[in-house]
Amino acid sequence: MKMDFEDYLRRQSIRPIPAPWRKEILRAARPQPQPQPAVSSWWREWLWPCPRAWAGLAAAWAFIFLMHLTTPDDPSSRQGGSASLQSFAFLQQETAIIAQLSAPEANRPAPPPPPAATKPRSSRRVKQSIG
Amino acid sequence: MSSATNLERLYDEHAQALFAFALNLLRHEADTRDVLQELFIKVARNPRLLEGVQDHRGFLLRLVHNLAIDLVRRRAARDRKGEQAAAQEGALFAATDSPDEEVFAASLAEALGELPPDQRAVVHLKLWERLTFEQIAATLDISPNTAASRYRYAIDKLRERLRPIYDEIK
Repeated sequence: MKMDFEDYLRRQSIRPIPAPWRKEILRAARPQPQPQPAVSSWWREWLWPCPRAWAGLAAAWAFIFLMHLTTPDDPSSRQGGSASLQSFAFLQQETAIIAQLSAPEANRPAPPPPPAATKPRSSRRVKQSIG
Repeated sequence: MSSATNLERLYDEHAQALFAFALNLLRHEADTRDVLQELFIKVARNPRLLEGVQDHRGFLLRLVHNLAIDLVRRRAARDRKGEQAAAQEGALFAATDSPDEEVFAASLAEALGELPPDQRAVVHLKLWERLTFEQIAATLDISPNTAASRYRYAIDKLRERLRPIYDEIK
């Protein structure tokens, strides 16, 4: 009786291992590919400790950039722009004056001729009287 | 184990037995798969693991047993923390055409699940791996006497539990 019972238990066959497991398990167990170039591994080492933090930081920068692009300029920034234009024009004018002053003598425009000297009327009168 | 071919051969020769043992211990198909995968990864990454081992099957069964016990302990800790317990899933025995056999197999699977894991391991290795008590003792790292006594206790419980169905079938 005892052996019969144990033999009967032994006859119960445990179901077969699922066939797809073979491929999956062997693929997982296969040796990993060779390490990638040093640059890639350096990047991985740098980013690996907290990839989510890096991704979050990148997302924050992208958000800031988008906000910057989509937000219109405010009046104060426009005023600053016109002020800078005025400063630029003033600077150009000053530069032209300095260039004019520091140019060599030859290039400098000739000074206007002095007005012709008029003889005193008294001397003319003397010549006429002699003649 | 130095190549993928050797690993495939090892899988083809022993995976079914390792699967049956792990499934009987864990009673959970996904956990069983995890244990088998962990085992083969361990073997692949430690090519010298099987060097000098004459009884590959016994050695691998021992590794599966250790991995399964570790997983059972982790699962118990996880359950204590209030996380969802791993539900038993998947039939243990192959389907048969006979309804009586089907009922008996289901009852046997249930009765095995009620045994303590250390008794269940001995019963499995004795009945379905046909190991001697000395081999079971070496596999489970216990004495042959302990293996024999665990087996007797377990068989008595199974007989008592399954007697009505067994008497009806026979």
